[in-house]
Amino acid sequence: MAAVVEARIPPGRGLRYFATNQNPWSWASLVLGNVTLLFVVAGTFLVLNAFGWTQVCPDGAAIDQCARTDPLAAGLTSDGLGMVIGLTLIAGAATAVVGFVSWQRYETKSAKEATIIGIVLALQGAALALFLWWFRGSDVDRFVRNFLDIALLDKYKWGDIVPTFLNGAKNTLILSVLGAVIGFSGGLLLAVFTMSKRAVVRAPARIYINFFRGTPLIWQISFAGLGIVAALRLDLSPYTVAFTVLGLNLAAYSSEVYRAGIQSLERGQIEAARTLGLGYFQAMRYVIVPQAIRRVIPPLLNEFVILIKDTSLVSVLGLTLAQKELLGVGRDIYNSTFNATAFLGSAAGYLIITLPMIGIVTLVERRLRSGLTSVVGA
Amino acid sequence: MNHEPIVRLEGIHKWFGQNHVLRGIDLEILPREVVVLIGPSGSGKSTLLRTVNMLEEPTEGRVYFEDVELTHIRTNLNETRTHMGMVFQQFNLFPHLTVIQNITLALVKVLKMNGKEAATRARQQLEHVGLSDKADSYPSQLSGGQQQRVAIARALAMKPKMMLFDEVTSALDPELVNEVLNVMQQLAAEGMTMVVVTHEMGFAREVGSRLLFMDEGVIVEEGEPRAIFTDPQHERTKTFLSQVL
Repeated sequence: MAAVVEARIPPGRGLRYFATNQNPWSWASLVLGNVTLLFVVAGTFLVLNAFGWTQVCPDGAAIDQCARTDPLAAGLTSDGLGMVIGLTLIAGAATAVVGFVSWQRYETKSAKEATIIGIVLALQGAALALFLWWFRGSDVDRFVRNFLDIALLDKYKWGDIVPTFLNGAKNTLILSVLGAVIGFSGGLLLAVFTMSKRAVVRAPARIYINFFRGTPLIWQISFAGLGIVAALRLDLSPYTVAFTVLGLNLAAYSSEVYRAGIQSLERGQIEAARTLGLGYFQAMRYVIVPQAIRRVIPPLLNEFVILIKDTSLVSVLGLTLAQKELLGVGRDIYNSTFNATAFLGSAAGYLIITLPMIGIVTLVERRLRSGLTSVVGA
Repeated sequence: MNHEPIVRLEGIHKWFGQNHVLRGIDLEILPREVVVLIGPSGSGKSTLLRTVNMLEEPTEGRVYFEDVELTHIRTNLNETRTHMGMVFQQFNLFPHLTVIQNITLALVKVLKMNGKEAATRARQQLEHVGLSDKADSYPSQLSGGQQQRVAIARALAMKPKMMLFDEVTSALDPELVNEVLNVMQQLAAEGMTMVVVTHEMGFAREVGSRLLFMDEGVIVEEGEPRAIFTDPQHERTKTFLSQVL
């Protein structure tokens, strides 16, 4: 008779198991490491917050009168922050000692892990403290005034002063979405051409791709916008030129992604489709492309993230105020205030747009890896 | 038995670059025949099978299917291929489609059947290979043997006049080989014309109506399977059989 053994949860998993397999030294290392990092982060925040991040402005005050960040500079150079730094370094050193002792006596895997985690966290905290210490020694005041003037940023966020970052974000999104429509569809067409068995079809596609991949995008945009359109007196707005060139450029890059995706499929797939009597284009449409698309979605989304940032290059075309994208808005604000904090606003805008995209890429990749094929519906 | 050949190959040569793979093959296949191709690897048996439905275009020579010359430039190969089912070593099911969608795809897109008819026919074929309960599974959820039976059902659903099998059991775990061979044997018993490239000598002997032994791009010996297995005439056939039996 065959013995039936019940399936069990594997041993050695879960927090409780982790906790019951520690010794006093590994506990001490783990706790000290956590304390070190927490202390430097929370301590710095509390000290800076006590001094204030930026000057409070009365309504209606001119920007140059009130956009001052003396409080932030004062906070950064204060003795309070110095104390936080010093204590952090002491805690870090203590963790190192405890960790070293623990390293010599751990007897379980969990204790070893706790020791390592504690030491690594303490190192991160100490590194942060050292960075702050170095930063305080420089010309904090000038840096903060020119690059971290948060009150100034606040004025331009949505407000009534043109241009606003909100409008810039809108233009960045429009430019990238229109560019993506041209780029992703053109790219698929190009990919099919580059895989043709006929050299006369392949060659023009390859020339196109190599041209757009081989020259700087900023030159392509200025040559099209200033050279072709302006010199030939075509009736195209710089805005139209901008997203068209962005799209043409993306087509070149995405076609290589599509091609790699299609060629990564086994040869047997198209053979099986053809032996069933499907024609070449039917086989492509119903069998090859649906599978390839699933494989190329993550790299295509990456191309899209790159495109979002490349929209900043359209500024060479001299757009009107209302057409400015995020970086253009930042530059305009810089030009009128001579304060580079404006670019911090642009960078934040890009992050707000790109971070969710990057999150989607990660999510899709995880789902693709997890086996079952149906990601985009069957 | 009808003695008009269903397939006729005349003077077939095939080069892959400098590699002369098929070196002059003449072959006629009659309806209801089960022709089994055996031979050492690299002997050109798979290539020969693939020239029958023009998956490989012969460099020289002609291929006829029911008096239509497939090697003629103006022949509509897509139409012809619907009459010749093919099953591959690697199954080649479409992984993004369910089992039933794998079968109905060509029925709808090539034979222009409506969805309902196609689904009915697909279910009949699945029943035929004993997989009625797997209609809505994805290929990745099936065992190798089940995948290969789906591949056979997919080919049979087109109601082909003949079937080509390219080493269909070579990628299977040993205990799954028989379920596929049984389906093929049943098919042969129903009178399907079949060309089978295989390493299963037992199948060749029991089911084959004619055996071809190939080596270095030519058909070395052909005849009734049992006769060749018990009394091979050529030295090369003898050597090969002594190694595989």
